[in-house]
Amino acid sequence: MQQVSPATLLVLVPLLPLVGAVLTLLLGRRLRSQAHLPAIAGIAAAAAVAVVLLLGTAAQVGRPDGIHAEPVRPVEMISTLWQWATVDGAYTPPPGSAASIPGTAVGGTAGASRAFSIPVALRLDPLTATLLAIITCIGLVVAVYSIGYMHHDPGYPRFFAVFSLFVFSMSMLVAASNFLIVYVFWEAVGACSYLLIGFWFRKPEAARAAKKAFLVNRVGDFGLAIATFLLWMTYGTLDFHDTLSPDGTILPGILGQTRLADSSGIVGGAVGTAICLCLLLAACGKSAQLPLHVWLPDAMEGPTPASALIHAATMVTAGIYLVARTAPLFVACPGALTAVSIVGATTALVAALIATVQNDLKRVLAYSTISQLGYMFASLGTGTLLGFTAAIFHLVTHAFFKALLFLGAGSVMHSMGNVIDMRRFGGLYRIMPVTAATFLVGALALAGVAPFSGFFSKDEILASLHGKGWPHAHGEHHDAAPASSHAATTPPLHLVGLRTSATEPRAVDRRALIGDGSASGAVGWLDGLDTPATWQVLFWMALLTAGLTAFYTFRAVFMTFTGPARVPEEAGHHAHESPPVMAVPLMILAVPSAIAGWWLFSTQWLSHFLSATPSFTAPAVATTAAPHTFHMDLAIQGSLAAAIGIVIAAIGHLGRRSDGPQMERFLGPLHTFFANRCYIDQLYSGLFVRPLEALALVAALFDRHVIDRLVNGVARLPVALGGVVRLLQVGLLQRYALAGVMGVLTIVLALAWRLRG
Amino acid sequence: MMPLVAAGSTAVLHNALLVGAILFALGLVGILTRRNLIVMFLSAELMLQGISVSLVAWSRHHGDFGGQVLVIFVLTVAACEAAVALVFVLQAFARTGRLDAAAWQELREATLARTVDHALPASDAVPPRWPRLSTAGVVPPGADESPLEREHV
Repeated sequence: MQQVSPATLLVLVPLLPLVGAVLTLLLGRRLRSQAHLPAIAGIAAAAAVAVVLLLGTAAQVGRPDGIHAEPVRPVEMISTLWQWATVDGAYTPPPGSAASIPGTAVGGTAGASRAFSIPVALRLDPLTATLLAIITCIGLVVAVYSIGYMHHDPGYPRFFAVFSLFVFSMSMLVAASNFLIVYVFWEAVGACSYLLIGFWFRKPEAARAAKKAFLVNRVGDFGLAIATFLLWMTYGTLDFHDTLSPDGTILPGILGQTRLADSSGIVGGAVGTAICLCLLLAACGKSAQLPLHVWLPDAMEGPTPASALIHAATMVTAGIYLVARTAPLFVACPGALTAVSIVGATTALVAALIATVQNDLKRVLAYSTISQLGYMFASLGTGTLLGFTAAIFHLVTHAFFKALLFLGAGSVMHSMGNVIDMRRFGGLYRIMPVTAATFLVGALALAGVAPFSGFFSKDEILASLHGKGWPHAHGEHHDAAPASSHAATTPPLHLVGLRTSATEPRAVDRRALIGDGSASGAVGWLDGLDTPATWQVLFWMALLTAGLTAFYTFRAVFMTFTGPARVPEEAGHHAHESPPVMAVPLMILAVPSAIAGWWLFSTQWLSHFLSATPSFTAPAVATTAAPHTFHMDLAIQGSLAAAIGIVIAAIGHLGRRSDGPQMERFLGPLHTFFANRCYIDQLYSGLFVRPLEALALVAALFDRHVIDRLVNGVARLPVALGGVVRLLQVGLLQRYALAGVMGVLTIVLALAWRLRG
Repeated sequence: MMPLVAAGSTAVLHNALLVGAILFALGLVGILTRRNLIVMFLSAELMLQGISVSLVAWSRHHGDFGGQVLVIFVLTVAACEAAVALVFVLQAFARTGRLDAAAWQELREATLARTVDHALPASDAVPPRWPRLSTAGVVPPGADESPLEREHV
C-alpha cells in the first residue's frame, strides 16, 4: 500500500473543511435540508486525518519512560505549500543583532541583507497535532448536533458554510508556521465568529453583539500586528521554523531549533517584553481576558452550537495557543510572564464573581469560559514546563466539558422554546433525563470534582502556581543540572526537514537567555513583580475561583434541573427530550469529560507528548521539567474548595423553585455591582463608544451638509446656466435673425481688425 | 460731352459699392426691425438689389460681363422667389388674420410667456365699428371715435 506522506495529510486537515464550506456555499440552496452534508463530510474527514496525524506524531515521540525520564527530543515537520511574498534585500540588520544572518561577515556587505519572505508553511508538532484533533473532533460533534438544533432555520446552509469555514480557519491558525499567516487566520476566525454571532442579523441585539465582538477583537489584532512588526525588526524573519537560504546557510526562525538551542538566541529586555506584552494583548482579545472580555457574554446571542464550538472550545483557545507557541519568547522576559499570570488569575476571579449572579444559563457558561481561560493563562504565566503542559491539558479537558455544557444548554433552550432565563423553568430532570445526566457530568468536570477530567487539569494548574509561590515546598528540582545538559546534547528529530548545524552544547541557564540584562523603567518594575509573594496571592485567587466555579455551576444545575417542574408558555409542545441527533453528541462528549482527565494524567501521556514540542524543548523551558507527582495536599485543597461551593449552592437552590429569593439578600450592593458586570461595559461605553458615536455623528453631518451640498451645487450649475440661456428662445423670428446678424458682424469686425494692421 | 471720370476708375467703383452697401444695409435693418411680413419681404428684395449693384460695379471695374450676367440671373430668381414668398405671406395671413411677424411665437421655450407688445392696438375680438352715414349729411351717433385706428389692414 502506498504510504501517504504526513505533509499531504497535514494539508488535508484544513483543506477538507474548506472544500466543504465552498460546496455548501455553492449548493446550499439546492440541497436545502441536506445542506449539512458537504460540511459534515469535510469536517468528519478532517477529524479522521487529524486523529491519524496525532497517532503518527505520538509514535514519533514515543512513550513516557517513567518518573525520571530522558528529556524528549523535539518532533516537528514543516511543509511549505507555496511562497506567498518575497522582497529581496528588504532589511539589513545591524551586525551582531539577533536578526543578522549567522556566518555572514560583519561589515554590512550585500549578502548580509535579509529578504522579506512569507512562505505558506504548515507545521506538525505535538502541540499542533493535539489542537487539530480537538478542533476537528469537537467540530464534528457540534456539527452533528447542529443538524438537529438548526433544523427549521431558514439560514441552514449559511450556518454550515460559515461553520466549515471556521474549522478551516482555526486549523490553519494552529498549523501555520509563520507569524503573518497566523495573523491572516487570526483575523479569519474573528470574521467567522462575527458571521456566526450575527447569524440572526435581523435581531438588533445579535447584530450589535457581532459588531462588538469584532471591534474588541480588533484591539487585540492591533497588538498582534505590532508584535509582528517588532518580531520582524528584532529577528529579521517571521517564520517559526528554520529555513535554508539559497546559498546553504541556515536562516534561524524565531522559534526554530537553531535559535532555541542557542543560549542568546531569544532577545529579552525592553524589546522582548514589548513583544510579549503585545502578544498578550492579542491573546486577551481573542481569549476574552480582562480588559477585552466584554464581547464574550454578548456573543451568546449567536446560535448555541456556534457558542459551543467557538466560544468554548476553539476560537477562544487561540490566545492560549499563541502564548504556548511563543513560550521561549515569554520565558526570556520574566516580567511578561508574571503579567500573563496576573491577567489570567484576575480575570478568572472577576469572571467567576460575575457568573455567580447571572440568571441566564448561557451567560453563566460564558463567564465560566472566561474564568477557565483565565486559569489557563495563569498557568501559562508560570513559565515552567508543568505550567505550559497543564494549560494545554486544561484546554483539552475544558474543550470537552464546556462544549458539552453549551450543547446541553442548547438542548434546554430548544425544548423550552428559546427561553434560557433559569428563573422561568425548573425541575427539568424529569422531562429531559439524558440532557440532565450529561449536563451533570459536565458540571462535575467543570467544578473539578474527582475523578472527572476537570479535577486533574485544575489540580495541575494549582500545582504549577503553588510551585512558584512556595518553591521549595515539594522538593522539586527546577534547575536540575543533569536535565539541562541532556536537553542540550540531544540532536533534534525531524520527520521531513533540515539538518541543523552542529552547534556545541552549552550548559544553559534560564537567566542567560535575557538579551541585555539591564532592564530599566517599566520593564524592571514588571520583572520585579516576579516574587514568590505574587505567586502566593495568585494561588489563593485561583483556589477561591475554584470554589466559586463549583458554586455557580451547581447553582445553575440545581436551578435548571431540580425543584418543582416548571415549563414556560413558549415551550408549547416542545418540552420533551431532544431528538437523538442532539442527544447522542451530548453522550459522546460526556465520555471524555468523565474519563479523559484521569486517563491522561495517570499515563502522563499528554505531558510527555507535549514536551516534545520544539517550543517546549528549548532549554529554558525544558530545564524546568519536574517529576510529575500527585500532590495530595493540593488535591485536598482543591476538592475542599469545590465541595464548599457545591454545598452552598445546594443550600440555596437544591430542590427549590428557581424564581425564589436569590442572593440579593446576602450580597446587597455587591449583587448589583456584579449583576451589572462590574460596570465595565458602562465604563467602555462612556470612554470609547459615546465619543466615537459623537465623532461619527460629526462626520455624518459634515458629509450630509457640506460634501453633499457641494456636489449638489455642482450639479445645479449647468441647470442654472441653462436657465439663463433658455431666456433667449422666445420664438420670435426676428430675434433669431438678429442674433445671427450680430454673430456675422462680430466675425467681420474681427477679420477687419486683423487685416488692418 | 467728355465724362469727368474714366469708366473703370476706382472712384466710380467706390461710389457704386457704397450705394450697394447702403441698399444692403437698409434691407438688413428692415428685415430685422419691421414686423409687417410684406415689408420684411420688401427689405429682403432690397438686399438683393444692393448685391446686384455691387455685382454690376465690380463687373464694370474688371471689364468682365460675368457680373452683369449674374445680375440678370438674380433678377429672375428674385421674381420667382417673390411669387413663393407672397404665397407664404398669404398662408400666414389666412391662419392668423394678421401680417405681424410677432404673431408666430409657438416655437418658444415652454416656460416662457408669449411676448406681448403692449403698443399693439386692441385684439380682433372686438369687431370694428364702421361709421354708418345717413342719406343726408346728418352726423351719425357715435361719430366721436377716432376713425384713424383700425385693427385690420
